[in-house]
Amino acid sequence: MIQKKICMLGAFSVGKTSLIQRYVSSIFSDKYLTTVGVKIDKKALKFNGKDINLMIWDIAGEDDFTSIRTAYLRGMAGYIIVIDGTRPNTCDTALSIHQMVRETIGELPAIFAINKADLKSDWQLDARQLNKLKLSGCPILETSAKHDLGVEGMFLHLTERMEVQHG
Amino acid sequence: MDKLLSAIYQSLDMAVFIRKDAEQFTLYSSTPEWLVFFLGKSTSPQDCNLTDAFPYLTCFMDDAATHWQTRQTFPLTSGPWVEINEVGHELALEASALWVNDQPVLLLQHLGEKYRQEVSRLQQVRDGLLTQEKLEHEIQSRTLKIRQREEEIAIRLVSVTSYRDEETGAHVRRIGLYSAAMAKALNWPTQRIDDIRIAAPMHDLGKIGIPDRILLKKGKLTETEFSIMKRHTEIGAKMLQNANIPVLDMAAEIALNHHEKWDGSGYPRELRGEEIPITARITTIVDIYDALVHERVYKKAMCEKDAVELMSSMAGSHLDPELFALFMELLPVMRRIRTEVHEIEDLLVSCV
Repeated sequence: MIQKKICMLGAFSVGKTSLIQRYVSSIFSDKYLTTVGVKIDKKALKFNGKDINLMIWDIAGEDDFTSIRTAYLRGMAGYIIVIDGTRPNTCDTALSIHQMVRETIGELPAIFAINKADLKSDWQLDARQLNKLKLSGCPILETSAKHDLGVEGMFLHLTERMEVQHG
Repeated sequence: MDKLLSAIYQSLDMAVFIRKDAEQFTLYSSTPEWLVFFLGKSTSPQDCNLTDAFPYLTCFMDDAATHWQTRQTFPLTSGPWVEINEVGHELALEASALWVNDQPVLLLQHLGEKYRQEVSRLQQVRDGLLTQEKLEHEIQSRTLKIRQREEEIAIRLVSVTSYRDEETGAHVRRIGLYSAAMAKALNWPTQRIDDIRIAAPMHDLGKIGIPDRILLKKGKLTETEFSIMKRHTEIGAKMLQNANIPVLDMAAEIALNHHEKWDGSGYPRELRGEEIPITARITTIVDIYDALVHERVYKKAMCEKDAVELMSSMAGSHLDPELFALFMELLPVMRRIRTEVHEIEDLLVSCV
């Protein structure tokens, strides 16, 4: 069994825990419960005939009082940075986290997930922000943990990219 | 182990391990109930692989090893993490590495109530931040709408004069954009940049008070006619001043001073150098540029090279030389504004 560590990163309350719960346990709760520290979930899957065990690290979101410990990122094979489409600030946080990871760990497979696609009519990201995301070269996927949109696809896409990079 | 110490560890809901090698630890305290499930059946308390039991510790052990190497007696903490126990409940733990009695020690603590309190505190803080973020966004969005309306009102106001003289609406719009580009390069605050974008186009508003026979006269103005024409600066300023609205105050300042010259030979007050408000000095430069490179009923458009050459000869006499140098640095930006804003439809701000 191949084990891969992936980290869920992003500002607070963007839906990192909800995306993991949707993917790992197929459940969703509308109630916002903040994460403190780290919680690790596991998901076994078969990819291209290989058994892979994803160790998904749910890392507490960033705010003015909490920043990500770089030690959390050790040994990760890829990461997902989650953005709340209804909160433009979370896009700026995502970009600064992406830069921090690249400076700390280097280039690794990464995905930007614009979450809360169920509220797409309320999205507030402007063209400048979307352009900056595009310039990062990372795939940008739309997800909704609530409506189960693009969640499994996002994890599979990252797994595929990790497989291409690391084999 | 000392019975007293053991009792203290138990009361703190803590397990004490002594490091044997890079991966193996010996449980030194009694085994807290919550730990039994994680240590599993296969390991003995003498031989615990803690990173197998708690994958989270993989990100802590390197730092802990460095800490032990330096034999530090103060604890290095891992930060909290959450495990799920045998009945599906969340369990918050934290590890600490320290050097005790010449041995590398790892404490594993069940945070319990301490963690719940921290979660509750952060939950309140973040709920507050979310509410604040929503309110700030709402304010920003409403302010933007107000600014868009202000801009549209200003441009429609200016377009009134466009019916009487040759200036086009697109010229008016460009003046605002050129001025804003200059202000941005000068690192002005966003609010002030927005203000000059709206205020600069109103510089000739006072022409509304100039009789047609003078404003629309094809030939050269007589001295008397010119002295009447010059009054458009003061008329404009009077129309705009004392509104106590920053953008209109700035517009009044520009209207009054945009015909002043750097060497003091301008009008209406013959101000000199930096006595002339910077907003007006900027507007003067961009107004001359736009007028030179565009066709009017009484003149052909000048090519940009000739226009810039002519303006260079005015720097230091008519124009602020430092601002003109900045204008020259921004020429590619100015050119893009000139070529992209030429339709009357561009005039109206898309007000949602």
